[in-house]
Amino acid sequence: MKNFHINHREKDQIDILEIRGELDAHTASKLEDSLKTLIDKKKRNIIVNCNDLEYIASAGLGVFMAYIEDVRGLGGDIKLTNMNEKVYNVFDLLGFPTLYDILDDEIEAIKQFQHPDKQDSPS
Amino acid sequence: METLPDYTDKKSRFELKTLLETSRLLIESRETDFVLNNLLLITMGKMLVPRGAILIHDEQDSGYIVRKIKGRGLVNEGDRIELPWEPDQFESVVLDPAREKIDPPELFEGKNRGLFFNLRTSNHHLGYLYMSRKGGGEVLNEHEIEFVESLSIISSVAIANSRMFAEMREVNRKLDRKVYELNTLLSLSRDFSMMVDREKIASTFKFALLGQLLIRKFFLLYHIDGKIDLMASSGLSRAPNKGERKQIFDIPDDIKIVDPDDSNTTDWLKENDIAALIALQMQGEKIAVVGVSSKANRDQLSQSDFNFLQSLGNLAVLSIQKTQFLEERIERERLEEEINIAKSIQQGLFPDPVPEIPTWELSAKNIPSQQVGGDYYDIAETPDKNFIVAIGDVTGKGIPASLLMANLQSMLHVLLPVDISLGRATDQINNLIYQNTPSDKFITFFWGKYFHQEKRLSYINAGHNPPLLLRKESDSFEELSEGGLILGAMPTQMPYEVTDVELHSGDLMVLYTDGVNESMSRSGEEYGEKRLKELILNRRGDSAEQILDAIIEDVRAFSRNRFSDDLTLIVIKMK
Repeated sequence: MKNFHINHREKDQIDILEIRGELDAHTASKLEDSLKTLIDKKKRNIIVNCNDLEYIASAGLGVFMAYIEDVRGLGGDIKLTNMNEKVYNVFDLLGFPTLYDILDDEIEAIKQFQHPDKQDSPS
Repeated sequence: METLPDYTDKKSRFELKTLLETSRLLIESRETDFVLNNLLLITMGKMLVPRGAILIHDEQDSGYIVRKIKGRGLVNEGDRIELPWEPDQFESVVLDPAREKIDPPELFEGKNRGLFFNLRTSNHHLGYLYMSRKGGGEVLNEHEIEFVESLSIISSVAIANSRMFAEMREVNRKLDRKVYELNTLLSLSRDFSMMVDREKIASTFKFALLGQLLIRKFFLLYHIDGKIDLMASSGLSRAPNKGERKQIFDIPDDIKIVDPDDSNTTDWLKENDIAALIALQMQGEKIAVVGVSSKANRDQLSQSDFNFLQSLGNLAVLSIQKTQFLEERIERERLEEEINIAKSIQQGLFPDPVPEIPTWELSAKNIPSQQVGGDYYDIAETPDKNFIVAIGDVTGKGIPASLLMANLQSMLHVLLPVDISLGRATDQINNLIYQNTPSDKFITFFWGKYFHQEKRLSYINAGHNPPLLLRKESDSFEELSEGGLILGAMPTQMPYEVTDVELHSGDLMVLYTDGVNESMSRSGEEYGEKRLKELILNRRGDSAEQILDAIIEDVRAFSRNRFSDDLTLIVIKMK
């Protein structure tokens, strides 16, 4: 199996998935499993911290597409943070920034979950 | 064209500075929106004009789009308006509707009587900057008009630049997307080739499409084993039922744009916002259908998107087919291995070594037409030190026949140590086979007990090809055909009768199954008993083994090496 790991931690009732390595056709199912587990537990405030994500293929992006509705249906959101430029370019190229909150830093995302009214309009 | 204002006094110098700074700000910017916003704000601020707007000419259409409007407007940004004159009707940069006697639509409340400043490059009309009167109602003086004119000329260049830049960026982006699509196709073709699980391939295909095309709803219907399976899906309200799957699969189009207003569109498709159905074919045969919703960002699915979907879909289908073939091969190999095991088990059921029987020289052989067969023979010693010789043929061949053959073998060996007559043993075997096998399964069976001291063979023939007995001094064959009905056809009513034959030195006996006499030549002719008998007569002087080999060789040559049925042969010579 390729180099891809997910670390899960919780902070102020927000679930943070730190994803590391290469998210592609072979590893997408790992992320799928993690998101499914959270959704099954009705967890709805999810941050995916991409700080150590080195590569993302469209299958990886597809996992976000497949579960965002479920999370928003629970009244929550999936926010993506800390992407490097290369990874951001892929998200941008396929039009993700209009649909997802992609933030520079995890702390911003936490603040938005805690004070949704102060949220900036999506860029 | 335009003469620049006189910039000699202090105010003019200040204006010149503003002009320079503004022009640098605008020209360096690559964002049209930024340029337009600043052009409007700077002019309004500088001229103390409370109402202004920028109208951009729509090149596809004759109208104008209100791109920026400040002040209490009657129209909103994004609105389309018509101007009652042609873009190239007036040469000058500034256009005063009152002077030209033209009547533009009111952009603001009240009578504003503002001016239109033409935004244009040397060969291209871009739109207008509209300035109302000043806050106090005064009109712009000549000097101010000249300033705005200058700014309009500079801004036009900046707008044209930023537009060109935006176009280039769009072209680049399209190119980047194409490159990325190709990369996705390439890397997935590699990924698919490493996958052996069709669920995994289908799910990877799903996620790649969701990500690449920005769609939320997806399904893959796959035609497999005569059924239409839902192999992968995402975001559906519920899985389509059998009828709905068939309806979708039967739509003949390669790419079907789903129209929710069409009365033929099924409720299930509407319910799930399916926007398009794409058929995937392999060698001209429809294998799968992919359904997708429209893009989550409201963009239309383009032909390029469909091309990508088809390319990736074909890759996925090809890989799924490959896993099917692989599974079938594994299954076949597993079966072959099992049959090989069955074969060695069956070979173990034949007597080995064949026991030495006093006064007999015996040779026996079984050749199954498939790996395993339904022929049976046995030679075994009885508790009273005499011998049993048996030959049988189960209807059919292959595995079903071999199971019954094994059954017969075990019955025989169970009965062997029991002190029971040949007749009663046959009665019981027949009943057991009748009870335990389907009605279309029979066994032709011949067996005899050889009392070697008396050189007497007591036999029963239950519907088997009569063994041939060739006496030493005779040229004609006796047939050992007495006994009873074929085994397994009906319960024993008439007991099987035993017949005795005396054997003498030099007598020759040949027992065989129909694999010998019914063996076929290419032209469909049977080998037949006549050929068999002639061969035996010709070779009667040879050893039992030589005769056996000669018969097999002759049958093999006759049938051109194609044994279409199991073949068993026992040759016995009296010493």
